Formats: sequence, structure tokens, C-alpha cells
Amino acid sequence: MTKHPLKMTKVALENLFQKPATVPYPAVRKPVYAATRGRIAIEEAKCILCLICDKKCPTGAIKVDRPGKTWAIDRLLCIQCGYCVEVCPKKCLGMENLYSPPVSAKAMDVVNVPFTPPPPKPKPPPASATPAATPAPEAGKE
Amino acid sequence: MNLTHAILAALLYIVAAPVLAGLLAGVDRIISARMQARIGPPLLQPFYDLFKLFQKERIAVNKTGHFFLLGYLLFTIIAGVEFFIGGDLLIVIFALALGSVFFVLGAFAAGSPYSHIGAERELIQLMASEPMLILSAMGFYVATGSFQVHDIWSRPDLLIVILPGMFAGLVYVLTIKLRKSPFDLATSHHAHQEIVKGITTEFSGPYLAVIELAHWYETILLLGFLYLFFAPWPWLAVLALAAVYFLEILADNTNARLYWQWVLRSSWIFTAVAGAGNLVVLYYLSRGGTP
Amino acid sequence: MANRTVIPFGPQHPVLPEPIHLDLVIEDEHVVEAIPSFGFIHRGLEKLAEKRDFTEFTFVAERICGICSYIHGMGYCQAIESVMGLEIPERAKWLRTMWAELSRMHSHMMWLGLLGDAFGFENLFMAFWRVREGLLDIIEETSGGRVIFGAAKVGGIRRDVPDDLLARIPAQLAKIEAEMRPITDVFRDDFSVRQRLCGVGVLSQKDAYDLGAVGPVLRGSGVAVDTRLEGYAAYDRVQVEPIVESDGDCWARAMVRIREVYQSFEILKQVLPNVPAGPVDMKVTGAPNGEFFARLEQPRGEVIYYVKGSGKKQLDRFRVRTPTFANIPPLLKMLQGCQLADVPVIVLTIDPCISCAER
Repeated sequence: MTKHPLKMTKVALENLFQKPATVPYPAVRKPVYAATRGRIAIEEAKCILCLICDKKCPTGAIKVDRPGKTWAIDRLLCIQCGYCVEVCPKKCLGMENLYSPPVSAKAMDVVNVPFTPPPPKPKPPPASATPAATPAPEAGKE
Repeated sequence: MNLTHAILAALLYIVAAPVLAGLLAGVDRIISARMQARIGPPLLQPFYDLFKLFQKERIAVNKTGHFFLLGYLLFTIIAGVEFFIGGDLLIVIFALALGSVFFVLGAFAAGSPYSHIGAERELIQLMASEPMLILSAMGFYVATGSFQVHDIWSRPDLLIVILPGMFAGLVYVLTIKLRKSPFDLATSHHAHQEIVKGITTEFSGPYLAVIELAHWYETILLLGFLYLFFAPWPWLAVLALAAVYFLEILADNTNARLYWQWVLRSSWIFTAVAGAGNLVVLYYLSRGGTP
Repeated sequence: MANRTVIPFGPQHPVLPEPIHLDLVIEDEHVVEAIPSFGFIHRGLEKLAEKRDFTEFTFVAERICGICSYIHGMGYCQAIESVMGLEIPERAKWLRTMWAELSRMHSHMMWLGLLGDAFGFENLFMAFWRVREGLLDIIEETSGGRVIFGAAKVGGIRRDVPDDLLARIPAQLAKIEAEMRPITDVFRDDFSVRQRLCGVGVLSQKDAYDLGAVGPVLRGSGVAVDTRLEGYAAYDRVQVEPIVESDGDCWARAMVRIREVYQSFEILKQVLPNVPAGPVDMKVTGAPNGEFFARLEQPRGEVIYYVKGSGKKQLDRFRVRTPTFANIPPLLKMLQGCQLADVPVIVLTIDPCISCAER
């Protein structure tokens, strides 16, 4: 390869006559991939408020309220690791490939969950599910 | 040039120079961005920046610094006015240098080591660029027999033909004056420098705007200097100035920042070869040519 | 006789986006001495390992560093797997190797851009970061993250990469390699770049060895050490030669990294067609009981992971020795006698990641 000191001039002039590599975000956005970890989404119809995601979330971004029947996530605390998606027993959590929109204030993203524990007979399962969600026995089950 | 004309020219310079230089800065930023394969800011971005700076809070490390900055702006404008009313070239050069010295004093007024090193480097840049400016005034004198800008630009012959070395030398020091890589030692248009923002580190908001404004006046004055070489042919002059400015942008985008030692040495060597060489040749030619 | 001045450099400094503080004792513009201070962002991650489930700690390990994230996660998992005696599936090993090399390439290219920025060459900075974007796209498409891969897992990898995607990567890499040639040539040949790099911050071979330099700093001074030769993951089945330069100056360290990027292209050419079919993870039961030192080659140099467990879900002790930590003493040696304008360049040539070093 020839050794001359002005190689950058060539690069700069080529760039000058080519289309810029950047895009005018947010008017134009780069495509996302199927695998892109964007944000956590929930299919609330399938959720059983089992609290596993709440317990497992490494940053404590997910808060599940059983009496109030809500599933909530702090989008700014979430690190998009996808661990909740892996541990969800009903597979109602999923990773979307679109990012959360920018916000100007911190707020929980609250979702109302329609799940009602069937009254007398399935009373035991939620009761047994609660201890199962504590770290020690659950991790053994994995 | 009578008094009315002079006042008109002065007013025109005071009003039009920042507008013109701001647009030039906008074009500069777009072309720089394209050379880096970016889209770049809108054309009027330098004006938005300037107005925003004027709106910002005034925080002073040392109020004396602000007084010196106004001196910088004032003397740069005086140099420009003197030039555009067709005054004495030497006064233009000394007023410009005085303005820069005020700027340096302003930076020394604060205690920050970044500001001090920036100021020291600005002095070194002055040492690197002033000889060429003074030599070019001598060149104009030898070529035209006058230091008056008015006399120089109303001559019918194209000065670039007999002063090509002077022109090249001035283009070289223009890189220093415009604070372009590889000579952006004292402060840089780009954020990442080892001495933070160098000479401008300790100024804030409106005072940064004053510095920018003074820099714009200076830019137009220096381009006016180069215009003198092509004065009889305005279209050629505009083309030449555009070409020079483009080369400056290209140099900015294809070079690293160099050491002050290298800047000083190279500009003195260039001044000696191109500037002084041109002067010597011209002197002997004029001796031989005229009885 | 010049006066001595002390110039504070960092922890907030535009040219050095890392929270290290250096007191530079200078005479005129010559640095006589550099006195570092640390601890601005100590996060207590090593202590955190004693509170967290060892599988969950992978997420924390990956976030020790933003740029060499993947190899941190991989190193942690490798240490745990060795304690537990797990032999992870072959496919996982090969994909780990692929991601480790992609991580090295994007880290080096980011660094090359930053170095350009440190000596005021904005266009070079933009050029490297533009080309690096192509690598980030590959990383995002395979792992889901751009710099935090999130693909490490004790017992394998968290996400399989489809074979058709693996087959597409070589063409993308070839395109990136072609785009890279002209700009790495600038580093090698450009006059102003050579002015700023050649003969600056020289570290002799003996000093590099004695002061415990690692990675490109060590190899730039002529010592052929590369932890990849230990043969972890699938490195025992690919051709890896340590890249060595003998000058020991900033230019040599830049050349080591440039050549390593090209070497990574070659390694990926060996890895991608050879990824075997099969599972990518295995069931992990029980808890680590025992201790292990894992050594891996980060883009910045050798990283050491120490884990100690006693059969509980939480580790008893966890320790990381990051490459930046090892490269600080050589850095102080290099800074002596340099010019003020060289300080950012020299500091950058160790590729500092202070957040890594402080964990």
C-alpha cells in the first residue's frame, strides 16, 4: 500500500458527495431487529399475579399488587434483561422490539389485570404459589 | 473616499459582517458535517446559538475579564471599520492584534489553569500569525506604494499576480486565525480538548456570545484582506475566497491538532519562504523594472 | 526556570469521559508527574455478589462495564461453570467465541475513534464510529442488545442465533472490513496523526512487564501475551496469534488494536462456518461449592474473575481484576515527561474504563 500523508482528504471528499450516514431522528428511525430488546409488554388476560417477575427482577422495576390486581413496571428502572420473560410461568410477559417513548417524569406503567382467583376450590393454589415465589424453593425448581 | 461614504461603509460593515460571517459559519458546519458523513445542523444554527448564549445567565469568575472582552470586540470592530472605509492597513493590523491581546488578558484575569494555558497558547498563535500579517502589509506597500486600503483596492492590476507568496502565507495564517485543525490550539470549535475550552473556559453565556461575535467580525476582516489580492475582478475574488474557505474546512477535517511548537515553527518557516521570499523578489523586480 | 503548576484533569473532563482524577504537575507544558485519585464511582458490585442469587448476578456482571460487557458476563459464567464442573454445550461455546470477538471489535473501533477525538481529529472519530455502527447492527440482530448483549448465562447462552442469520454475517463483516481499510490507513500513514502518536508515551518492554501492564499496552511494548491462547470457549480450536508491536509508544498501541480488529475478522471467518448444531444451554442445578480463577482476554487486556462459593445460592466471595486496574501504574510511568497536549492521548492508549476498575 502506498504511503502518503493525505489519505483522510480522500475519505472526506468522498463523504462530501455521498449520502450522509446519519438519519434525521425522530423523523426517520433506524429499523429494529426481531431480537432487539426494547421493552417489556404484558398480556394481562393471561397473567395470574403470581409475583415471580416481581421477585426475580434484578432491579426491582416490576411491582405486582395482588389485592389491587395491578401489574406495574418502572420503565426507567428496567434494564431490558428479559429475565421476567424467562421466568414467567404463564408466558404472558414478552420483550417487544420497540423502545419505550421518552418521558419527562418518572412514573410507573400500571396495567390492570382481570385475573380473579376462582373462589373456594382454587384457594390453595395462590396460597401455595406465594411461598413458591420466594427465592429459595423457586430457584431449586428451575 | 468622502466622509459620507466612509460612515456608510462603516455602518454596513458593523451590520452586515456578523450576518455574513454567521451564514458562513452555518455553511462551514454543514460542509464539515457532510465531510464526516453527517447531516449536520440547519444553516441558521450559528445564529440560534448566538441568541441562546445572549439569553443565558451571566456568571463571572472575575469581572475584569468581561471588560477585556469588550475591548476585544471593540478593537476588532475598529480594525474592520478602518479596513472597510479604506484606511491605513497598518492601523488595521495593529488594532486587530490589540483586540487579540485584550482577549488574552481577559483569559488571564481568571485563575483557572485551563484558561491560563489557553491564553498562553493564544499568545503563541499571535506570534505565529502576526509576522505574516505585517509582511503582507509591506508587500502591498512595495507593490502599490501605499498603505491605504483605498489605494490598494482601486488599483487596476491584479495583485495576486505579483504577490502570490503573500496570498499563500495569508491563507496559511488564516487557518490559525479561524481556529481550524491543525492549528486550533488555544480553543477549538469542537468540545474535546485537553485544556477544556482553553482561552474561553472561564467565560459564560453572553460573554461567549461576545467572543463569537468578535470572531465573526475578525473572519470577515481577514477575508477582506484576501479580497484585496483580486480587487479589480470581484467575481474572481468571490470564487477565490470560496475556494480558500473550502480548503480551510477540508484542512480542519483532515488533520489532527498539532503541538504549539510545530505550529510556531511551521508558520514562521512558511512566512519566511512564501512571504519574505515574495517580498524580496518583488523588491528586486521593482528595482529592475522602474528607473 | 519554569514555575510548576498543578492542572486538575478529571474526574469531569470533556476529553476523558471517565471518572479518574489526575493531578498533573506541569512545568510550562511538560508533565513532571501525574498523581491519580480514584473511587468516584465505586459501586460495591463485589459485595453485591454476596446478596444475590448466583445466576441472577450474571446481569450485574454484564454491567460491570458498558463496552466490554459481554466478556464480563462470559467470564463470570465461566468461573461459576468451572466451580460447578459444568461442561457447556459446544454450540454455546462457539457462539460465545463469536460474541467475544464481536465485542472486541466494537470496543477497539470505539477506542480508535476516541483516540482520534483526543488529538482533535473529529472526522476520524466520526469515521470509526460510523463503521462501528455496522458491527453494532450485527450484535443487535444476534443478541438483542447493542452494547449490553445480555446473552451470557450460567450453563450456556440465553439466546440461540438462527443458522440463516449466522450464514448472513460473513457478508456483512466483509463489507465492514472493506469500509475500515481506508480509515485504518489514515491511522498508519497520516502525517498529523503520526506527529501526535509516534514516540509519545513510550513504555519500554521491561517497564511494561514489571509494572504489570496487560493487553494491548503490554503487546504494544513487545511482550507476546494473549490470554485467548489459554483456549477457553472455542479458542482452543481457532488460530490465534498474539499481535505484537515493538515500539511501545502510542502509535504501537494503536497499531496493536487495529491489527487485532483485522485478526478478529479472521477469527470470525473460522468461527462462523463451524458453529455446530445442538442445544445452547443446559440445566443448572445445585449451587457453586469451591473456588476458581477465570482468566479471559478483554479488548482492554486480561481480566481475572475469582469466585468462591460454599454450596449456597449466594457466593461467598467474588472479585474482578479488570485490565484498566492493571494498566494504571504503566499509565503513570508513560505520563512522566510528556507534553500537556499528549495527556489525553496517553491516557486513552490504555483504553481506560475507570468504572470497570472501580467495580
